[in-house]
Amino acid sequence: MPVWQHIYEELNDPDFVLISAAQDTGGEAVAGPIFDATNPTYIQVVDENHVISSAFNFVNVPSAAWIDEEGRIVRIDESTYATTHQFGEGEAAFVFGNDIYAPALKDWVKNGANSQYVQSTDKVTGNIRQFTDEQLRADAAFRLANLFRAHGQEGKAEQYWKLAQSLNPDSVNFIRQDMTLTPEGSGGESFFKLVGEFASRGKEMSRPLDLEG
Amino acid sequence: MADAFAAYPDLRHPFEERPIHGSGHTTVLYQGKTICLTETGTGDGLLIRPSDLQQVNGFELKPEGACFEAMCIPLNDQLLVQQDGQEWFNLTAFADLLEQPYVADVDSRVWSFAEIPAKRSNLLADGLAPDFEVTDRNGNVVCLADLKGKKALIVTWSSW
Repeated sequence: MPVWQHIYEELNDPDFVLISAAQDTGGEAVAGPIFDATNPTYIQVVDENHVISSAFNFVNVPSAAWIDEEGRIVRIDESTYATTHQFGEGEAAFVFGNDIYAPALKDWVKNGANSQYVQSTDKVTGNIRQFTDEQLRADAAFRLANLFRAHGQEGKAEQYWKLAQSLNPDSVNFIRQDMTLTPEGSGGESFFKLVGEFASRGKEMSRPLDLEG
Repeated sequence: MADAFAAYPDLRHPFEERPIHGSGHTTVLYQGKTICLTETGTGDGLLIRPSDLQQVNGFELKPEGACFEAMCIPLNDQLLVQQDGQEWFNLTAFADLLEQPYVADVDSRVWSFAEIPAKRSNLLADGLAPDFEVTDRNGNVVCLADLKGKKALIVTWSSW
C-alpha cells in the first residue's frame, strides 16, 4: 500500500489518476486504517459492494485496469502488485507480488500510447471476462447479502452470499470476503482448500501478469 | 501473518439486528446504491411510482418510452400498470425485458438488481471503460466522466 503512494508521488502528474478501491465487507472500519497508515493522496474508495470489480468483471484482488485519456482500456485484469511482498522469514516466508508492474505503469504514464506496455484493443477485449446471466445474478445476490449483514441479519446474509458463490464459482472475491468474517479468516485451511479446488478445475484464481520480467 | 491477513470475526455481528427500512417501505439495490421507496403497488413484481424510476436506475420516462442515453424502451401496459386509479411502473417486468437479472427477498421487501447487460456492450466489444460511480472516503462521487482527458489506474485490493 505505501508503495502505491510512492509511485503516485514519484509520477507527480496532474493528468494521472489513481483510484484504489478496497473491497472489504468490513468497510471503513477495516480498510480505513490500512489506507490511513500510508497517508495516501490518491483517490481512496471503500467498495464494500464490489462496484468496481463488477463493472470491470474482476474476480479477485488485486486487479486493475489502465484507462487512457479517451476512456479506452489499455490493460486490464491481471494480478496487480506494486512490488514484491514477503511475510515471514526463511522457509516460512510467504512471498508474492513482483517488481515489474510498477515500472510498466510509470512507462505508460510518461509515454502514453507509445508505451510498449499498452495493449491492443483486441488484446484488451480478449482479456475482459465475459459474463453470464448467472454471474450478473451473483452480483445482485452479493449486494443483497451485504445489505442484510449491515443490518445484523446474518442468516439471510449467509443465504445470499452462498447464492452468489454458487452462481459465480469463479469469483474468489465472493468466497474470500465471506471467509474473512469467520474465525479461521481468509488465509486458513479453507483458503488453501479453495486454491486446490481451482487447480483441480484447471482455473486460475486471477490472470497472471502479462509482462516480461 | 501480517495484520492484513488477520480475520475479523468480531465484524460478523457488527450490529444488533435491525430492520432494513420502515414499515411498508421497499428497498432497491442497483449499482452499489441503496434506494428506499416509501410507496409501491401490490401484486406480483415490483411496482414503483413512475416518478421514482430515474432515481432507481437512471431511466427517464419520455413520450417515446423509458430512456437512458440513446436507449429508449417503448412503454406498454405490462410496464405501465393501472391499479386502483393509480399508475405504476413495473420494474421487474422492465428488468425482464432488458434481460437484467435480479434477486429479491420479497418477505423483506428488498430487490437487488444486477447491471443491465446492454450497458456493458461497449466494454466487451470495444474495450471502452464502463461507466461506474463510487463515493470516495472524502465523500466525493467519482465516476468515469471525471477521468476524461487523464490516464487512470483503477486497482482493487482487500485486507483479506
